Amino acid sequence: MSIRQLLGTCCILLSLFSITPHSAQAEPLVINAALDQSVIQPLLDKFMATYPDIEIEYHDQNTQATDQSVIRQPVTADVIISAAMAQQMGRVNQGYARRLNSPQVQQWPKWAKWRNEVFGFTFEPIVMAYRLDLAQHMLPPTSHADLLKRLNDHHDILQQRVVTYTPQGSDLGYALYQQDARYSGRFWSLIQAMGRVQASTASATPDMLKGLSSGRYWLGYNLLGSYAMAWALEHPEVIVQVPQDYSLVVMRMAFIHKEAPHPQAAERFVNFLLSFEGQHILAGETPLFSIRPDVQGPYTAQRLKDQVGPRLYPINMNASLLALLDSQRHQYFMQRWQQSFWP
Amino acid sequence: MMRLGRSLKAQLLAWLLLMVGLIGVLLLLEAYYSTQRAATRAFDRALSDAVLTISEAIQWQDGHPHIMIPSAALQMLATDHQERIFYRVLNAQGQSLAGNLDIPLSNTDMDQAQHHSVWADMDYQHERWRLLGESIQSAGWQEQDPVQIWVGHTTEGRKALAKKLFQSAVGRFLVMVLLVSFMVMTTMNVALAPLKKLRQQLRQRRPDDNYALDINVPKEMDELVETLNNLFARQRDNHDALLRFTADASHQLRTPLAGLQNISELALGQQDPSQWHSALEKINLSAQKTSRLASQLLNLARLRHAQKPEHDTLLDLKTLLQEVTLEWVEREYSYHHDLGLNHLPSEAILIPGDVWAIRELINNLIDNALQYTPPGTQITLGLLPSAQHVELFIEDNGPGVPVSQLPRLHHPFERGGRQDTAGSGLGLAIVDTITRQHQAALQISERAPSGLRVSIRFPRTRSAES
Repeated sequence: MSIRQLLGTCCILLSLFSITPHSAQAEPLVINAALDQSVIQPLLDKFMATYPDIEIEYHDQNTQATDQSVIRQPVTADVIISAAMAQQMGRVNQGYARRLNSPQVQQWPKWAKWRNEVFGFTFEPIVMAYRLDLAQHMLPPTSHADLLKRLNDHHDILQQRVVTYTPQGSDLGYALYQQDARYSGRFWSLIQAMGRVQASTASATPDMLKGLSSGRYWLGYNLLGSYAMAWALEHPEVIVQVPQDYSLVVMRMAFIHKEAPHPQAAERFVNFLLSFEGQHILAGETPLFSIRPDVQGPYTAQRLKDQVGPRLYPINMNASLLALLDSQRHQYFMQRWQQSFWP
Repeated sequence: MMRLGRSLKAQLLAWLLLMVGLIGVLLLLEAYYSTQRAATRAFDRALSDAVLTISEAIQWQDGHPHIMIPSAALQMLATDHQERIFYRVLNAQGQSLAGNLDIPLSNTDMDQAQHHSVWADMDYQHERWRLLGESIQSAGWQEQDPVQIWVGHTTEGRKALAKKLFQSAVGRFLVMVLLVSFMVMTTMNVALAPLKKLRQQLRQRRPDDNYALDINVPKEMDELVETLNNLFARQRDNHDALLRFTADASHQLRTPLAGLQNISELALGQQDPSQWHSALEKINLSAQKTSRLASQLLNLARLRHAQKPEHDTLLDLKTLLQEVTLEWVEREYSYHHDLGLNHLPSEAILIPGDVWAIRELINNLIDNALQYTPPGTQITLGLLPSAQHVELFIEDNGPGVPVSQLPRLHHPFERGGRQDTAGSGLGLAIVDTITRQHQAALQISERAPSGLRVSIRFPRTRSAES
C-alpha cells in the first residue's frame, strides 16, 4: 500500500517535471509599428535575450495601416508604434491606450509622455537630402528659404527631380506640412514651387532615399533624418542636410493597447523601451536618437542638439496635435495644398 | 460624566481634544467641499475659455458656418493635467460641423444650451467627464443661425487639484491642532499651578500642624482652602479638648488618690486598732468614689471614641424611663428627694437607639439632679411626644445654675460652680455624648422661679444620614 503510494507520488512528480518545460510556451507579443524592423532589430534582439519566454511578432506597416489596426476588432496588437504623432494622440484621447505606472515611466521626461499612456521614445530630425549631382549645377540648399530660391531659380533643371512626402498617403507627411505652415508664411510659395517642378510624392522615407540613390531624384524634402543619416553612411552619393533655419523633430510614439491580448508582455516591452538599457541600444545601434539625458552614444538627442544648435523644433506631444485630426481642418488644408501644388 | 483617570489634566485634555475633534470634523468637511468647489471653478474656467476660443474661429461663408478648430483651444481643454478632451460644433440643425469623440449628448441638454450655458457631468468609457455647452450668436452680413459649441474633458486635473488643496487644508489644520495643544498645555500648567502649590504645602506639613494654610490662591479655590482651614481648626479643637480632658481626668484622679495616701500615712503612724479601722472605712469610701469616677471616665471615653453606633433596633422610651425611674425611687440615696414621673403618654414611644446608652443617659440625668439639689427638691421626669420627635425632660425646683454657666454645663468636670457635691462633673458630659450619638438635641435652661430643666429631643425615625 505504502509502496504503491510512494510510486504514485513519484509518477506525479516525474510527470510534473516532464511537463513543465513544455507547458512554459513562449508568450507572444504583437507589435504593430510604422518603424522599419531592420532599424529597431538590435533592440528587439536584446529584449528577447532578456525575456526569453516572450516571442515578438513584429508587423512593419505604414502609418495609416498602423493607425487602422488600433480600431480593428478583434484587437490583435499589444503595442502600437508610429511617428504619426497626431494619430497616436487621437487614439489615446479616444481611450485606446492603457496607462502604465512604472519607475521607467516616472523617470521619463514630462515633455515626451502624455497621461502616462503614450511615450515618445525617439528624437528624429526632419531633413533635406540631395544627390551629389545637384552640387554640380547649383549651391545645395541649406535652409527652407534656400530651397525655395533654388526651386524658383533652377526649375528647369529640377523638373521631376524633386521628391517630397505625400500629405494624402502619409499621416506623417500631412503633419509635417501642417507644422511647416505654422512656422513660415512662405510655406505655400514653397508648395507652389514644388508643384511647378512637378515634384514626386512618396509615402515613406526609404522610397525617397532609394530614388535618390538610383538617380531618379536629385533633391528630397522632409525626410526622416534617422533613416536618411543611416542611408547616407552606406550611400556616399546622398548628402543629408539639416535645415539651417529650423528643423522639425518628430518622435515615434508607443502605447499599449487598452485591450492588449498580452498586457504583461506589452508592459515589459514598453518599460524596456524606456529603460536605460533600451535607450542605450537606440543611441548606439540605431539612428533613432535616444532622448534619455543619461544615455551616451552616437545617436542621442543631446548630441544632435550640440551639433545642430538650437534650431531643432520638436513637435510637442500635447493636445494641440489633436487639431490636425479635425476633418474640416484637414479638408481645408488639403484643398489649399492641392490648389497650390496643382494649380 | 467622563471618568478618564483621576488626573484633572487628563480630563481637561480629553475634553479639549473632544471639542477640537468635533470642530476639526466640521472644519475638514467644510474644507473638503470648498476645495471641491475651488477646483471645479478653476477647471470650469478652462472650458469657458476653450468655448470662447473656438467661437472666435468660426467663419461665415455664404451664410454657412465654417470652423478651423484652433489647437490652442484643445490645449486649454487638456490643461496641464493632460486630460482627455472632447469638442463638438453643431449648426442650428444639430448637424456636427466638427468634433472628435462620439460622446452622446442628451436632447434636453442641447435644447437648454440654446438659451444658456449648460454644465453636464457624465460617465463615458468608464471615466468621469465634465462638459460645457453654449450657443454662439454672431452678427454678420447675412441672416445667421446660432452655432452650438460643446467642449469637455476628463476630471483628473480637478481631482488632483482638489486633493492638493484639501491636503494643504488638512496640513494647516494639523499645525493648528499642534499649536492649540501646546497652548492648552501651557495654559493648563499655569492655571493648575496653585493646586500644585497647595499640594506641596499639604505634603510638607508636619502631622501635628493644625494651623491655617498660608497660601495665595485664585478665587475659585478660596472655598477649598477655607474648608481645609475649617477642618484644621476642628482638628485643633479636638486635639485641644483631648489634651484638656486628659489633664482634667488626671487631676480629678490625683485628688482622691492623694487623700488615700494621706489617710493611710496617718493611720500607719497610729498604734490604736480602732483608729486603723476608722481609717480603713474612710479609705474604703474614698476608693468607692474613685472607682466610680474612673468608671464614669471610662464610660465617657468609650462613648466618645467608639465607632458611630448603628441604631438598628427600636426601643420603647416610655417603658425604659418608667423602669429606670422606679429603680432610682427604690434606692436609699433618693429618699430625701421627691422623684417622680409626669406627662407620660399612654402608648409606647418607639425611637431608634441603644438601650444601654439611653439607660445610662437617664441614670446620669437623675444622678445629676440628686447630686446637685438639696434634700426635698422636687425632681420630675416626663416625655413630650410630637409627630417627628419626642422630648425627654427632667426638671427640678432646686437652686438652679447661673445663666452664664449654662452653655458650659455639658463640658467634662463642670460642676456649675459647685464644689460641695460628690458629683464627678462628668454626668452631663456623658449625657451630651449619648445625645449626639442619637442625633438628638440637648437643651439646658433655667426654670422660674428657680431650678433647672434639661431636655433631650430625640428623632422618632432614623435620620437619612445615619
